[in-house]
Amino acid sequence: MVVGDIATGTDVLVIGAGPAGYVAAIRAGQLDLDVTLVEKEAYGGTCLNHGCIPSKALITATNVAHEAAHAEEMGVHADPAVDLSGMVGWKDDVVNQLTSGVEKLCKANGVNLIEGEAHFADEHTARVSHGGEGQGSESIEFEHAVVATGSRPIEIPNFSYDDDPVLNSRQALALESIPESLVVVGAGYIGMELAGVFAKLGTDVTVVEMLEDVLPGYEDDLARPVKKRAEEFGVEFHFERTATKWYEHGDGIRVVTEPAGQAQAATDGGAQAREAEEEPLEIDAEKVLVAVGRTPVTETLDLENAGVETDERGFVPTDDRARTNVEHVFAIGDVAGEPMLAHTGSMEGQVAAEVIAGEPSAIDYQAMPAAVFTEPEIGTVGMTQQEAEEQGFETVTGKFPFRASGRALTTGHAEGFVRIVADADAGFVLGAQVVGPEASELIAELGLAIELGATLEDVAETVHAHPTLAESVMEAAENALGRAIHTLNR
Amino acid sequence: MVREFKLPDVGEGVAEGELVSWLVEPGDAVSEDQPVAEVETDKALVEVPSPVDGTVRELRAEAGEMVPVGDVIVTFDVEGEEPAEAEPAESDERAGEPEAEEGGAEAGSEEVATPEGRVFAPPRVRRLAREEGVDLSTVEGSGPGGRITEGDVRAAAEGGASGTAAEADAGAADPASEAGDAGAAQAPASTETTAAPQVESADRDRTLAAPATRRIADEEGVDIDAVPAAEERDGEAFVTPEAVREYAEAQRRAQEADAAALAGREEPAERERREPFTGVRRTIAEAMERSKYTAPHVTHHDEVDVTKLVETRERLKPVAEERGIGLTYMPFIMKAAIAALKEFPQMNAMIDDENEEIVYKNYYNVGVATATDVGLMVPVVEDADRKGLLQLSSEMNELVQKARERSISPNELRGSTFTITNIGGIGGEYATPILNYPEAGILAVGEIKRKPRVVTDEDGNESIEPRSVMTLSLSFDHRLIDGAEGARFTNKVMEYLENPELLLLE
Repeated sequence: MVVGDIATGTDVLVIGAGPAGYVAAIRAGQLDLDVTLVEKEAYGGTCLNHGCIPSKALITATNVAHEAAHAEEMGVHADPAVDLSGMVGWKDDVVNQLTSGVEKLCKANGVNLIEGEAHFADEHTARVSHGGEGQGSESIEFEHAVVATGSRPIEIPNFSYDDDPVLNSRQALALESIPESLVVVGAGYIGMELAGVFAKLGTDVTVVEMLEDVLPGYEDDLARPVKKRAEEFGVEFHFERTATKWYEHGDGIRVVTEPAGQAQAATDGGAQAREAEEEPLEIDAEKVLVAVGRTPVTETLDLENAGVETDERGFVPTDDRARTNVEHVFAIGDVAGEPMLAHTGSMEGQVAAEVIAGEPSAIDYQAMPAAVFTEPEIGTVGMTQQEAEEQGFETVTGKFPFRASGRALTTGHAEGFVRIVADADAGFVLGAQVVGPEASELIAELGLAIELGATLEDVAETVHAHPTLAESVMEAAENALGRAIHTLNR
Repeated sequence: MVREFKLPDVGEGVAEGELVSWLVEPGDAVSEDQPVAEVETDKALVEVPSPVDGTVRELRAEAGEMVPVGDVIVTFDVEGEEPAEAEPAESDERAGEPEAEEGGAEAGSEEVATPEGRVFAPPRVRRLAREEGVDLSTVEGSGPGGRITEGDVRAAAEGGASGTAAEADAGAADPASEAGDAGAAQAPASTETTAAPQVESADRDRTLAAPATRRIADEEGVDIDAVPAAEERDGEAFVTPEAVREYAEAQRRAQEADAAALAGREEPAERERREPFTGVRRTIAEAMERSKYTAPHVTHHDEVDVTKLVETRERLKPVAEERGIGLTYMPFIMKAAIAALKEFPQMNAMIDDENEEIVYKNYYNVGVATATDVGLMVPVVEDADRKGLLQLSSEMNELVQKARERSISPNELRGSTFTITNIGGIGGEYATPILNYPEAGILAVGEIKRKPRVVTDEDGNESIEPRSVMTLSLSFDHRLIDGAEGARFTNKVMEYLENPELLLLE
């Protein structure tokens, strides 16, 4: 503590007001704990300010424009003009509405809000430096601390986000004009979502991916429609290549790519592997967007002063109560490691608050959904068939294609399918994968089915309204039971 | 079958107790109502009886440990029924046993880990399981298709009736059980690794394993190249999730053994010694602290000439002894105090802080502070005003004896309205007794000593004579009683003690 400095005390110090941190703070407030929430930048964290919400706002806006322009078969003829600054302004309004809502909710639940950057002084004291010169700092003594500092985009060698043509996802979402051409490095879900946004806005998009396909980590049949649709928008893909540097060229830049390491190239003798051998490949563009993953933000925290350990990647390991190696310090959200999803962080935040309040709460990842807002969307929850079999289940799957769905056809989006993975013996739903229209919404029902221990029959015999996309879930369950009506049973 | 035994409420309103000693060991046969443990609560030492005929399976608490009422302290194998599979003695030998099978022994622990793999139970049931300390992976579901219900968890929590791995295995015909066991059954090779010593590192350069297995290895903090492989695929070592868990568990045990060995080497020589602040000592401390910091204490001192009382007692003592009763001065003091209490009812009252009321008591339960080996106890002679000297003496002697032997019940230590403490046995003249809160008064009496006193005869002549003198120290709650009243009360006590024949009128 600084001489003359009087520390304030709090039951729970939450560092970071993203979807993990603010949820932890509000829940702790609801449980009558004295809570102090420190945020150095903006309430709502990456999700509300630079991630989920702004990207989904722009995805929606670009989809409106794109669909209006491509609705001739529905008898709609339009030539929408896109005003990117207007679009970004609308996105900002949405973001502001949500972030101010978070602030109000925190206050309404008795959470003390402090703006500044917190770092640990010792096991029970943190120091908060307020932004700007002369703003000062203060000490806070805490009974429990919750680290929720989130993550930031990984930078790759030779691509500094300080350089104007090089963008991370956050910068890409704040562009004031539509680039004519864009190289997207990384075909994960952030890269693919933004590739779709800009392609629909008329940008000439090229995606460079180190691995052999889009959306690594998702099953091939889920990723395939996304790649196919992106190609229909004009997105060009180069797989098994890494971007190694860029240089200015003419009015724009030239991104230099090289074949990815031999380990990746040698796994497949197919066309993509052959392409990898072609070198060199340089791509001209106006901007380059790097979306190769995210890394935890821990370096400003002085975690070692609190005795909190991190792993070799910088994440803070936690147990199923969100506790770190130090009993009274918790870590939640991206900083606590994969899966780096906002809803995971929120759930961890609730658990951390409840554990601190002495409740028997614990994190359960068995039905953690994931949603990718590409076109078509992807939603997954629980286990894939392979994962279920690795865990010793004998599985049965049921699948329903959207092209057999009346509602899907009436939306003009009939690509993709619903698949349910179940235990062959008792019929318990173990997992589900959806690719297609509103997959991000449809997956919720299947998450509930898993959590409740529902069986295929439970799902199949739950009457679903017609005509809805949700009927596809019921039909997939019926398909698994060999009694689907609107598709052929296998 | 395993019966869990929770620490019962051994006295009215007792929340926890110190487990003083075990009277049995694992493996001992016990009969119903046979004492199995001594538990000290709220100043009393009580014996906890076995609820069943059976064999002691596991002691869940150690001597000296504070145990909340309701915590499982011991488990029994009930006679005539099959013992559960996971015997604690065997589990050490079976170093590589899959976690799920050890879960039975862990049911009821304070914090139950979230089960890995699928458990077919809705979130509210999983939460209940955590609340009740039930390991869901050991519970057989009775719901549709074998889903675990709230009732299953409650049953497991209450008696472990459906909470053992053995029963889950026995129910293998049930589809859910089959599903639950499939993870273990699918890798027969892993059973072979169970018997092999698991602590040794395999130290390979390359290991095949599923991503989920690698994740488990990360979570367990083990190097997957070090995990002994039970299988091979394409000529490479293939590691299963079970093998990772077995290896991690073996590592943990080895580390614990090392830690235990190190701890065993510590030298006992020490400059200071620390002991848990528990049991009677802590109870006394809490009571004293509450009393001292709640009621403003005033102590009034005086001394009384009890020469006549000494003579009276000497006369009555042989009579009492003929009836098998040792007559001390305490019954006389009690009688004198009660007579004074009747004149000063506020001294037999208390302040009900919570309701902001003064409670006057028309009954006279006198507490007699008693020094025991473990600390101060206050046995209570109920309705002392309705009892004669000999009955008072007899009851008090019996209670004091029980307190010293620590066989007194918590109920016999409660409900006093005024307390008397004898400080004379060891030495000293005066004291400042702390109120037996929430009582309003406490009287400390000193040793009766022969002292020179100025005596005035009937003609007004003064002389100095050796007399029997006793000191009195009366502490009272100054919120309720003013100083003058305290003095008057003491005067009244003295009047009776100076003239014991007045007690005949009481």
